[in-house]
Amino acid sequence: MRLAGALILMSTSPKLPGENQIKDVDALIRGFEQLGYVADRSLATSVYLLLKLHKPLLIEGHAGLGKTEVAKVLAAMLGTRLIRLQCYEGLDVGAAVYEWNYQKQLLAIKIQEKTQQTVEEKEKHIFSKEFLLERPLLQSILAEEASPVLLIDEIDRADEAFEAFLLELLSDFQISVPEMGTLKAKHIPYVILTSNRTRELSDALKRRCFYHWIDYPDFEKELRIVRARLPRVEEALGRQVVRFVQAARQLDLAKPPGVTETLDCALSAMSLGKHELDMQTVEETLGCVTKSVEDSAKLKAAGIEKLLS
Amino acid sequence: MMRQEEPDRSATSIIEFCQFARTHGLSAGIQQVLASIEATRLIGDVDRQGFALALRTAVTSSKEEWDLFFQLFDSFWNTSAPKSKPTSDKAGKAKTSQAKASSRTLRIESVGDASPPEAEGKGVSGASAERRIRKMDFSSVSQDDLASLEEISLRLFRRMSSRLSRRLRIREFADRLDLRRTIRRSIHRGGEPIVLAFQGRKSQVPRLVIFLDVSGSMNSYSLFLVRFAYTLQKYFKRVDTFLFSTDVVEISEVLRTRNLAEALHGLSEKAAGWAGGTKIGESLNDFNRRYGRKLLSRNTVFIILSDGWDTGEPEMLSEQLRKISYRAKKLIWLNPLLGLKEYEPVTRGMIAALPYIDVFAPAHNLESLLELEKFL
Repeated sequence: MRLAGALILMSTSPKLPGENQIKDVDALIRGFEQLGYVADRSLATSVYLLLKLHKPLLIEGHAGLGKTEVAKVLAAMLGTRLIRLQCYEGLDVGAAVYEWNYQKQLLAIKIQEKTQQTVEEKEKHIFSKEFLLERPLLQSILAEEASPVLLIDEIDRADEAFEAFLLELLSDFQISVPEMGTLKAKHIPYVILTSNRTRELSDALKRRCFYHWIDYPDFEKELRIVRARLPRVEEALGRQVVRFVQAARQLDLAKPPGVTETLDCALSAMSLGKHELDMQTVEETLGCVTKSVEDSAKLKAAGIEKLLS
Repeated sequence: MMRQEEPDRSATSIIEFCQFARTHGLSAGIQQVLASIEATRLIGDVDRQGFALALRTAVTSSKEEWDLFFQLFDSFWNTSAPKSKPTSDKAGKAKTSQAKASSRTLRIESVGDASPPEAEGKGVSGASAERRIRKMDFSSVSQDDLASLEEISLRLFRRMSSRLSRRLRIREFADRLDLRRTIRRSIHRGGEPIVLAFQGRKSQVPRLVIFLDVSGSMNSYSLFLVRFAYTLQKYFKRVDTFLFSTDVVEISEVLRTRNLAEALHGLSEKAAGWAGGTKIGESLNDFNRRYGRKLLSRNTVFIILSDGWDTGEPEMLSEQLRKISYRAKKLIWLNPLLGLKEYEPVTRGMIAALPYIDVFAPAHNLESLLELEKFL
């Protein structure tokens, strides 16, 4: 029933130039590639479904694999706004949805003191849009021209009360501000949620969303990513870096390196003017790949020589 | 039911697939069924893999389900396994056997999780069975009762932890001016903020450190406390869990990131020496040295689960416990033997430990674990 409702809303909203051009999954892969994002068919299918069915997409996966990037690239491809909400422990409605500009309200009350306005008029005035501070979620609802991309980043960090609130928003795309009434979305935003799985999300939330798991890329794909992101990288160096990071991932590190780390490593080697990844370069740029003393020690113990070959 | 090579993509067969998936560990609720039909219709006339990818996005809702999907897809649309699996599924393939093994436990968990009303509505016989199981000593649970004990314990622990968090929230005190409500109230006084509104902050949520004895005699008890720790961690700021017998192994990470079935599976791989003698004092020394500074604070509740049979020096034990009780908020010692009527804590280790313990309690059955609520 809820789905049907969403579909009706969809058909009444004007079509985007960007969305119309994406006729199928392959078109989406091409669109992403033009923007330097290498998407496999699996990810492209998920994003395509999000785009066409306006159902939120929950992306999970280890850190540094481009979860957040998906939203950025999608917004760029559609030529629409990206609205980002970074979640953290203790995130509340005031920071996520809206807040009144209290100082301004107090001033306004003082200014109105000597006027002949009735109390009702005064109240109406200080609770008008002029005094409303829009936070990301409200912004996404109030978008005027086109559906924005709403990125709710690291939802697992927010507490459960917030998750429950989000649930309401994601099913109705409306927010009620007691002093103003209910604000309904003109354009349903494309919602992407990401999670690092530091805790289980509620079943109700998961049920509302499409799901996608991003895994570590294989050698070929990772190499393509490096080429796409660092067009000036030398072929041999790129291959070496990817092979090295792929080997490091097998080591059972506390924080296995993601694609971000691969790119950092390649970029550092390039900046140091290296043409190949040798022992010395690895040791100099170790901080790009491992992010703790323990992991660095583990990597060294495994033999950098061996990982490079 | 035999099906031909090319999957039948009608709504009926998708619903049938969802039903099939449901009996094999996926949640596949009605919303996901609708989404699946919608998604596969939208994706249109694509090859088998494209169809499967769209279906996977719509029907799964967690990593476990995601990894399990292709196995279910292939066995439902009964064909020889296709060669062209997406590359990202390598890990999924490797874990298939594990996922299979944990799917039973997975389902047990989902019963306790998603549909408590159903579980509670099992009838009178269920209720009396529950009462019996609650009092059952963990070490004497028969194989038949184990499954229901696991299920009931998860459900009760969850209920308890949500009660705990509610209690924490009620105990609020005002410490910050709530401008929003102050202004709201000032309006009918012409804008003079006479009545101030305050905002309370949530009281500090304690941190929990759990220290589990996994030497031979304690094995069955420890497993339940692991479960206990798992459900509690949502409601504490942080739960750190350690296993010890002669060595100390940290398992917090295992419990934190995965689902319970996977966590228990991971534990059996990680535990160093599940059997053998116990050196509580030395283990605690090790803990204090490696983690003490990081984990012990005025806000920490420290729980030890052990029967107190120490093969090390009692002086070492009391010295280390003194250090812990000095730095932690509360030191709780759970001893399953305390459940026995004739037991008295007279072992050398226990005598050395008693002066530093704030709470000394049994932990031999569900009921005694649930009793712990009042100390947390």
